[in-house]
Amino acid sequence: MQIVPQLVLNSLIAGSVYALMALGFNLAYNTTKFFNLAHGVMAAIGGYAVFFFTRSWGLVLVPSVILGVVVAGLAGYLLDKVVYLPLRRGRASNTVLLVASLGAFTALQAVIAIFFTSQFRTLAGGSPIVYDLFGGAITQVQLLIAIGAVAGLLFLSWLLKATTFGKAVRAIGDDEEVARIVGINTNKIIGYVFFISSTLAGLVGILVGFDTGIEPIMGMGLLLKGVIASIVGGVGNVYGGFLGAYLLGLVENFGIWKLSGEWKDAIAFGLLIIFLLFRPKGIIQK
Amino acid sequence: MNSTVKAIIWLAAVLIVLVAAYYFIGRPTEGEVIKVGFIGPLTGDAASYGEPERNVVQLAIEEINGAGGVKGKKLEVIYEDGKCNGKDAANAMQKLVSVDKVKVVLGGFCSSESLAAVPIAQENKVFLLSLGSSSPDLTGISTFFARTYPSDASQGAVLAEVAFNQKKWKTVAFVQEQLDYPLGIYKAFSANFEKLGGKVFKEEFPEGTTDFRSVLTKLRAAKPDAVFVDTQTPAAAERVLKQIKDLKWRPMLLISDAVSGHKETVEKNADLLEGALAAEFGVDPTNPKFDQLAKAYQVKHNTELPFQSYSQTEYDGVYMVKDAIEAVGYDAEKIAEWFRTVKDWSGASGLVTIGDDGDRDGGHVPKIIVKGKVEKLQ
Repeated sequence: MQIVPQLVLNSLIAGSVYALMALGFNLAYNTTKFFNLAHGVMAAIGGYAVFFFTRSWGLVLVPSVILGVVVAGLAGYLLDKVVYLPLRRGRASNTVLLVASLGAFTALQAVIAIFFTSQFRTLAGGSPIVYDLFGGAITQVQLLIAIGAVAGLLFLSWLLKATTFGKAVRAIGDDEEVARIVGINTNKIIGYVFFISSTLAGLVGILVGFDTGIEPIMGMGLLLKGVIASIVGGVGNVYGGFLGAYLLGLVENFGIWKLSGEWKDAIAFGLLIIFLLFRPKGIIQK
Repeated sequence: MNSTVKAIIWLAAVLIVLVAAYYFIGRPTEGEVIKVGFIGPLTGDAASYGEPERNVVQLAIEEINGAGGVKGKKLEVIYEDGKCNGKDAANAMQKLVSVDKVKVVLGGFCSSESLAAVPIAQENKVFLLSLGSSSPDLTGISTFFARTYPSDASQGAVLAEVAFNQKKWKTVAFVQEQLDYPLGIYKAFSANFEKLGGKVFKEEFPEGTTDFRSVLTKLRAAKPDAVFVDTQTPAAAERVLKQIKDLKWRPMLLISDAVSGHKETVEKNADLLEGALAAEFGVDPTNPKFDQLAKAYQVKHNTELPFQSYSQTEYDGVYMVKDAIEAVGYDAEKIAEWFRTVKDWSGASGLVTIGDDGDRDGGHVPKIIVKGKVEKLQ
């Protein structure tokens, strides 16, 4: 093993996880302009759904994953319909929505812990194949994560650019009031946006579950890294979060080469602070 | 009604609730039952040994009560979840001391729990008996603390000696969880290993870390002779081991006794752990009390006795508390003094002697993992 290629691969793997989280988070944030903390728990919901389907129902891998992703999406959609929509109708400020999302996050996390216990679990079915790439090792699951991130980016850019739905989403992101005046059913579109963003988060939870494992509290860590990636890359456009994620992955993994491993999170947040101070609009300014 | 009347009614309601609460909850322990407290990790990763601990303690309690109890009174345990960290253990201790008003607490189990609970025990003159904490920092920490499990000063020394002299390893890399028990093992090992002439370096990680890839990459590049996977729980060790395997790395390994004591983890990772070293507090299967414990556990829980080094000291601890109460009564100071006088007390873990520093005399024995089983090292 050579250390630099391995660190590059590690950065790629970590960056891909953050990229997928950032993609989902960015989509929802750009449309609704509020910080949805519950995005994190959707990852846990996806992971535990697959856990449930494979263990309790004995489903094979691929249908489990598809179902798991759909369950996560539905969770996000229902959360919007039950909690956020009534609040938006009541003209709630973004702070109120943030607090509501925190409440939803905590509650859903606790429910998962009640049903599945807070023990750390691994999702069975991940292949043990390890590839040698340019002097470093990467497992098949980790490679899938990287592919997933790119696929997610391509899917989202196609969705936003080439479909009418995407145009409506961008319109709402520009100005919700005007979009409504123009005739777009903003609440319905926002519901679908939460569905899609939550499926992306659920996918992250599932992939991470196969790679490392799941536990009820996994959501917050993933969310925070996704948010850092979004802010560093530039909130406001899809590509920004993607770039920011890989930058974050690189800085984290190369940073601990010379510093000690326990500084990883400190480095990540340090990067965020530097960007907020000197380039608050991120790498790609909208 | 006007607002003054309302205010008076509210005040009265609050007073009634407070008085009732004090009366029903704050009452000291009744005469028919002797209540002792328990603090251990009942949830989270460490529950893998916290739950068996509760089971063993409960088994001992049922045996004692079935045989007539302590001085004719039934022994009862109030179980609190320490979650293997100082904050929750301190809260649990505070509750047991102030609300349940117990005089003896069996706990903590994780060293982090015990270290946090000791000051509260000292301040309130409650006796704390740990059945499994092994951090060297607990040696001589308080006259109100004792433990039936030996200090890791012994685990570190034994492993360092074997690693350097027998295995001829010159450099050892540590992957150490940031908690008191793993830190204690690291300090004991590195002090002894470096004195022998070896080199130790480490990477720490906070509890709950799931991404070890770059930390392991870094350690691998330094080409150590062996890697010590020093974690608090078997679950954390599994995560580290899996990522070592993912990197296509097969170093010589050492593991902490909390991991080697977990049969499932050792079996599942038999391939990677082949030839790995550990140091455990010895178990003597020919000891009749141990045998009785193992059989009773098998019957009650339909599974083999887990974490055998810990189970024996847990079982003994409960019986020692019974003997203490029978000898000097349910008085914390007298019980604390009694424990300091324990010499060659016969239990499932062999002959127990507790020194002036509260530590159980006795040491760890080097073990090696062969084909997924932990065996004595020759």
